[in-house]
Amino acid sequence: MLEVINLKKEYQTATAVDGISFRVEKGKIFGLLGPNGAGKTTTIRIILDILKPTSGEIRFDGKPIDKEFVNHTGYLPEERGLYQKSRVIDIIRYFSELKNVHANQAIENGVEWLKRLEISQYKDRKLEELSKGNQQKIQFITAILHNPDVLILDEPFSGFDPINQQLIKDIILSYVDNGKTMILSTHQMDMAEKLCDEIFLIDKGKEVVGGNINEVRKKYGKNSIRVDFSGDKSLISSIPGIVEINVYSNYAEIELNESTKPSEILKKLVDIVEIRNFTILEPSLNKIFIDLIKKSSE
Amino acid sequence: MKKFLVIAKWEFLEKLRTKAFIISLFVTPLILFLFSYLPGKLANEEDQTTKPIGLIDSTGQYTIPLTEKLSSLSFGNNQPRYLVLNLAKKDIPYEQLKSDANEKVLAKKIDGYIYIKYDSLAKPVIEYRSRSVGNFHDLDMLEATFNEMYRQTEFRKYNLDPALVSNITKKIEIKSIKVEEEGKESKTDFYAKFMTSYIFIILLMITIISSGGMLIRSLVEEKSNRLIEILVSSCSANDMLAGKVLGLSLLSLFQVAVWIVLAVGFAGASLATMINLDSLLLVLVYFMLGFVLYTSLFVGLGSVVTTEQEAQMLTSYLSLVILLPIIIAMPIMQNPDLLLAQIFSYFPLTSPAIMILRLNNVAVPAIEIIITVGILILSIYITILFSAKIFRIGILSYGKRPGIKEIISWLRKE
Repeated sequence: MLEVINLKKEYQTATAVDGISFRVEKGKIFGLLGPNGAGKTTTIRIILDILKPTSGEIRFDGKPIDKEFVNHTGYLPEERGLYQKSRVIDIIRYFSELKNVHANQAIENGVEWLKRLEISQYKDRKLEELSKGNQQKIQFITAILHNPDVLILDEPFSGFDPINQQLIKDIILSYVDNGKTMILSTHQMDMAEKLCDEIFLIDKGKEVVGGNINEVRKKYGKNSIRVDFSGDKSLISSIPGIVEINVYSNYAEIELNESTKPSEILKKLVDIVEIRNFTILEPSLNKIFIDLIKKSSE
Repeated sequence: MKKFLVIAKWEFLEKLRTKAFIISLFVTPLILFLFSYLPGKLANEEDQTTKPIGLIDSTGQYTIPLTEKLSSLSFGNNQPRYLVLNLAKKDIPYEQLKSDANEKVLAKKIDGYIYIKYDSLAKPVIEYRSRSVGNFHDLDMLEATFNEMYRQTEFRKYNLDPALVSNITKKIEIKSIKVEEEGKESKTDFYAKFMTSYIFIILLMITIISSGGMLIRSLVEEKSNRLIEILVSSCSANDMLAGKVLGLSLLSLFQVAVWIVLAVGFAGASLATMINLDSLLLVLVYFMLGFVLYTSLFVGLGSVVTTEQEAQMLTSYLSLVILLPIIIAMPIMQNPDLLLAQIFSYFPLTSPAIMILRLNNVAVPAIEIIITVGILILSIYITILFSAKIFRIGILSYGKRPGIKEIISWLRKE
């Protein structure tokens, strides 16, 4: 288990991280979420021992992290880039050796990973000869090849087509199944929603919300429905109990106040318009976050 | 393997494989060769054809002896250097003769012509008029010939034996001998000394600039694509600094070694006579100290820059400082005990180059060597300390280049 305890990072002019704490359990995907400049990258850098915190500490398996810890972490930064002029297998070997993997072992593992990501044929090519997507795969390999205990992925899916996103997603899931610790930092809420067990939302260096994703949903989710209909949409807004209504060409998303039940609205709607489909909406993480961050900045 | 060794190996091998490096490995010595060899070669190479030159002697005194003397000069294979044409004609005014001669010069019928007249004190004045005024070979030759002839005719006037005269007026050269500390004496060949010192300073400069440049470029590349974050999440900043400096330094030294092998290969034995180093070991010590000092300076400054343009600007400014010793090399060689030389010997950035120059040229007191080496080692220590601090923070700062104030605040940290 990775523990972040009361972490604080102050710069001369600003406070990047302001006293946050969270726990990342083994075998679960932890989503570190937040808008740009929220303090995600600073938090990640402190966990990776790139930056020293002003106060607070990082513990892994109950012990404060030490110099040895860097050999057990893997990191995929948001901005990608590797040595363009170097050979693929050399790059893989270099970054593995930096994680204390023996050169022969590194090459053996590298060949295996290239096969798994379906790019074995590029082993001896220069990186610049590969497509953007394949270069990203190489970078993903360099983050995971030494089988780290803690893997931190920053926007791992950006730049991949849907097929490769699926490929990466499968690897991530099987990796966590082996009892490893994983932090996923992303803006793509739909991805976070699908993958993360736990989430932690940070804004302006402070915790906004954290915990199990279903509990967060339950707690902050709004009472919303979606109606596919034909008829006069102006009549819908006259129904009592509606807080907000977003009308699209042939459907509407309707937010109800807390005391109004969706079934009551349905009864009233039937009289006004012709209904083709009626859905009670699961609150989307996206919506929850936008609302929460708006609220916190007010 | 230790991580800094992994990094050193990577930097060394990856840069070694680049086309740019391989090209520079062979093109640089070629350029150096052309620079040092061609101008001298061209200046000494004269075309071996007899030159027609005119003579207008308004005094009438020197026409015959000068013509004789000049005609007797040859290229060593009996081919005469000059064909002397007497352009003076009776009854024609000298102004007219000169303008006729000018036309001949412009029409390239003659290379030029000598004009002799008396000044107000009845001393001969001699002019050589030609299309080019830069031909110092011919000018030297004509001047020497005229003076010899002039002396002989003057002495003859007083009935002195010309053979005796030439014996008395023979130039006696001074041999320059350097007296060393232990009472040892060694013959000095100024030119050889100067060239060997110069070669070492130029090698120092090239290695510093090339390895410093590589270092900064590699840092800028890694910063711009955030590779640096993966690196520092795998090893300490100090490992990275040590690895890069070691790898790229070895690469530069390898480059120099290749050049030396190439030079020995081409020039062979003739090089051994040219190279003139009395204190090779000390020269190498200063060379390495200078190299390490500059490289650690490059690391600190290099970690601050964020773009390729800034890197280039920085490299060119530092190169100018490295060039300074080359500019002041000549006066120092001629007078190694100059106050200026003393000052620059103690100033760390110029000390290595100036000491290499002085060591080769004068007996430098042991105490001065100890002090300058001490200053250099101390400067290296301080520079590495500061550079490492700046490096640790600088490599993670992107975007705006930090100002002086900010860098000072980095240095105060910890």
